[in-house]
Amino acid sequence: MSSSHPPSPRSTPNMTPSLALIIVGVVVMIAGGLGFTLFIPMILPPQASTQAQQVDQLFTFLLFFGGVIFILVEGVILVSVIRFRAQPGDLADGPPVSGNTTLELVWTAIPAVLVTVLAILSYTVWINTRAIPANEMSVGATAARFAWTFNYEVGQETLPTTLNFGDLKPEIQADLTDEDGVVHFNNPKLYTWVGQPVVMEMQSQDVNHAFWIPAMRVKQDVLPGRTTEIRFTPTMAGNYRIVCAELCGSGHGAMAGEVGRDGELLGAWLIVFENEEDYLANFFDPAAATVLVPPDDPALLGRQILASGAYPCATCHTLDDLGWTGNIGPNMNGIGDRAAARAQTTGDADGAAYLEHSLRHPGDYLVPGFGNLMPQFNPDPGQPNYMPQSDLDAIVAYLLTQTANPSN
Amino acid sequence: MAAVTAPTLPGVAGEEPTRLHVSDYLRWSVDHKIIGVQYMATALFFFIFGGALAMLIRWELLTPAIDLMADGQAYNSLFSIHGTVMIFLWIIPMIAGLGNYLVPLMLGAKDMAFPWLNAFAFWLIPPAGMLMILGYFVGQTEAGWTSYPPLSTLFSGDGQTLWALSLHLLGISSILGSINFIVTIRNMRPAGMGYFQMPLFVWAVLATSIIVVMATPFLAGALTLLILDRVAGTAFFNPAQGGDVLLWQNVFWFYSHPAVYIMVLPAFGVISELLAVHSRKPVFGYRAIALSSMAIALVGFTVWAHHMFTSLTPELRIPFMITSMIIAVPTGIKVFSWLGTIWGGKIHFTSAMLFALSFLSMFVIGGISGVMLGSVPWDIHVHDTYFVVSHLHFVLFGGSVLAIYGGIYHWFPKITGRMLDERLGKIHFWITYPAFFLTFFPMHLAGMLGMPRRVAQYAPEFQTLNVIISIAAFVLGISTFILLYNIVWSLYHGEKASANPWRALTLEWATSSPPPSTNFIGDPVPFPNPYGYGTEAAYNYVESQNKKYGTVNPADYLPAEKSTAVTSE
Repeated sequence: MSSSHPPSPRSTPNMTPSLALIIVGVVVMIAGGLGFTLFIPMILPPQASTQAQQVDQLFTFLLFFGGVIFILVEGVILVSVIRFRAQPGDLADGPPVSGNTTLELVWTAIPAVLVTVLAILSYTVWINTRAIPANEMSVGATAARFAWTFNYEVGQETLPTTLNFGDLKPEIQADLTDEDGVVHFNNPKLYTWVGQPVVMEMQSQDVNHAFWIPAMRVKQDVLPGRTTEIRFTPTMAGNYRIVCAELCGSGHGAMAGEVGRDGELLGAWLIVFENEEDYLANFFDPAAATVLVPPDDPALLGRQILASGAYPCATCHTLDDLGWTGNIGPNMNGIGDRAAARAQTTGDADGAAYLEHSLRHPGDYLVPGFGNLMPQFNPDPGQPNYMPQSDLDAIVAYLLTQTANPSN
Repeated sequence: MAAVTAPTLPGVAGEEPTRLHVSDYLRWSVDHKIIGVQYMATALFFFIFGGALAMLIRWELLTPAIDLMADGQAYNSLFSIHGTVMIFLWIIPMIAGLGNYLVPLMLGAKDMAFPWLNAFAFWLIPPAGMLMILGYFVGQTEAGWTSYPPLSTLFSGDGQTLWALSLHLLGISSILGSINFIVTIRNMRPAGMGYFQMPLFVWAVLATSIIVVMATPFLAGALTLLILDRVAGTAFFNPAQGGDVLLWQNVFWFYSHPAVYIMVLPAFGVISELLAVHSRKPVFGYRAIALSSMAIALVGFTVWAHHMFTSLTPELRIPFMITSMIIAVPTGIKVFSWLGTIWGGKIHFTSAMLFALSFLSMFVIGGISGVMLGSVPWDIHVHDTYFVVSHLHFVLFGGSVLAIYGGIYHWFPKITGRMLDERLGKIHFWITYPAFFLTFFPMHLAGMLGMPRRVAQYAPEFQTLNVIISIAAFVLGISTFILLYNIVWSLYHGEKASANPWRALTLEWATSSPPPSTNFIGDPVPFPNPYGYGTEAAYNYVESQNKKYGTVNPADYLPAEKSTAVTSE
């Protein structure tokens, strides 16, 4: 049967592509490469920082050249399977062509030149996006499972000229702040304004996390045992999600900005105000006021501390009074009742002692169905997750007011 | 040389029937062919297992909230085990199986150099797989297949220890298997076959084995430190006691980046075979393909830290960008050489060829996104996002798995003596190909737009993309069963295969299908050029093989309906 077929091909197809095919191919490659770049605004998040502008420009080159190569390869496959398909019953071989040195040198050289160009472009963008601008604002970031806390430090000498506390009119006293004359406050949100360069100084309290703001095109791992930093300069006012990009455990997906049922911003967000005045009036003044003008009622103070997001409870716990919706840890609604009951089984003196122990040593009392995930809040300023005794007392006082029936 | 002229099909003449019973595959055997099948069957089992986990992942991701899984931890263990199983218990053993079956045959040898060691390497795999799965019962591992400490040390359940022990066994298996390959290829080539007359699949296995032997000990080192940290109270990765979390990342990726080439180089080898045979044309630029495998193997050791562009000290990132860009060049040489191979050939659209072509068209996307990821500023935006998930699946599914599919259709006749059903093969292809693209391509967009990887809950604006991805993934999952059905059906009812149904020139076809237990009757004589198609000498060689081994219909394999047309001509 097979011996009836001739050993030489019935018809040797012409292997040299015609000039017309080459011209059409080159035109399609370039037009297609450019065509792909038209989609860029649709497939990237808002371009809201100087870094984003440069990275997107680089991506345009990457996509253009990638598109050209893509069309070249798929085009050759397509032309081949149409032009060089064996006819039914054609059992002859193709021509015994096994190489072409010139062609092979060309297709080694072109990719080599191409990646060299892309490497140089990438290097330039890398240097520019990391340039240290003058007048940058430094903000600390603390990553702990599963929330971001941003740490602001403001020199006391800058306070009086910028503060506007409305009817509060506090007297700024040195003893309200650290001995070094610096006001500290924490917030789950990151605030800045258009054109203000920001440098993040980031630390992790447990596992590896990664700080990512898609709209800024910046990402940096946050690692236990070292401080890492990243810079960006916003160019557009707006609210942008902050996302944890490195697997950190069960709540990894929740360690990001979310939108609540009523459109409120929950979790980690970057809020970029139009200008410095908006920033001072809308964020800085209220945040500083919470620190500088604490209310007398401990339960009210505790509520204010928790509501300010100084401690990252909201990602994991639900508490209706504060709008918390997390479900990684136990529900806190009615904790005032349960604390007293639990204190009897654990041997704590009362509900307050039980709650205090639960905050200082969360691993000791685990609610059935929940793992040992909560960070330990330490009384010592040198340790991670520092929670001063005054804050702890206020938070416990507030939690005790959270009973099933608020009237009793 | 034994003067055997009569057909020597199993059970016909020349030697005892080699029809094997299923139980022969469940026992210890030192026959490389049985071991090869044992590898492949085990790997297919884990492919189904890992695929089922992938289906659960996609089911969970149909909605932005956690609903299918009990909590994030359960979800994390899903993708951790999915990734580890697919890499270490599917692709690597599958390729080891193909290599085991084919390398001695392609070299005209009777077996591997160390048959007992070969069997031992295989039998490490089932207990390793069991250890991995047992993790589910002692506290899930949830740190991903990359298992970065301290999540994998201070914060994970005992499943993580079993995970590490399991990988230790798999690493030993890999190293032993590779030493065996290197010695076999170095010493057991037949007279007349120098290195540059070897089939390209053998070249690929050689390059891969060199990588395995050099890189896998680093994985073993990292795993040992991890286990010590977990069970012996050491602090290699605990910064609170002077350890360093980046130590793991460096050592792990020093193995695991080369591991990408461990998975994809043999796939390149398979593709070189398939494209040449099914387009009836010599491989274009044989030496370039062979040597670029070696170049990739070497340069592959210098690029590991591109997996750490967001954690590595910033000053060190640029050097790794440069090496990562360089490695695109030998890969590009291969792709262009394959295009040169099919150009001007006589392309037969067998199922094997369809999968080879689909590899070519999809792998290039993984290559392009790979260059993009090599660029530090762009990588920083898409690092640890679905862009990377997409890239790695284009390389490992679009690359390795599609090539393995093609290899299964191509070598099934040799292994079993029966053809796979071509009609089912084409149905399998035409469902798999679009479903694969629709599953993995939209992941690029999700990643660029801001969806990180390894999350069970995500921002609602990504739901549409995720629903598309999930539906395509379910179709892709179902398409696998067409292949499995085809395998089982064809084992019993498939058309009888001739010794050389594809009219190929490499030596595995110069013996009966399946080969006798000694592989060859007498010493096979290799054709001087394993891809010398289109010459009179090649034609005569195939003819003489057919005369020697008997031609079982169809002599020149074509799909059933077309072969009728040929006969009536």
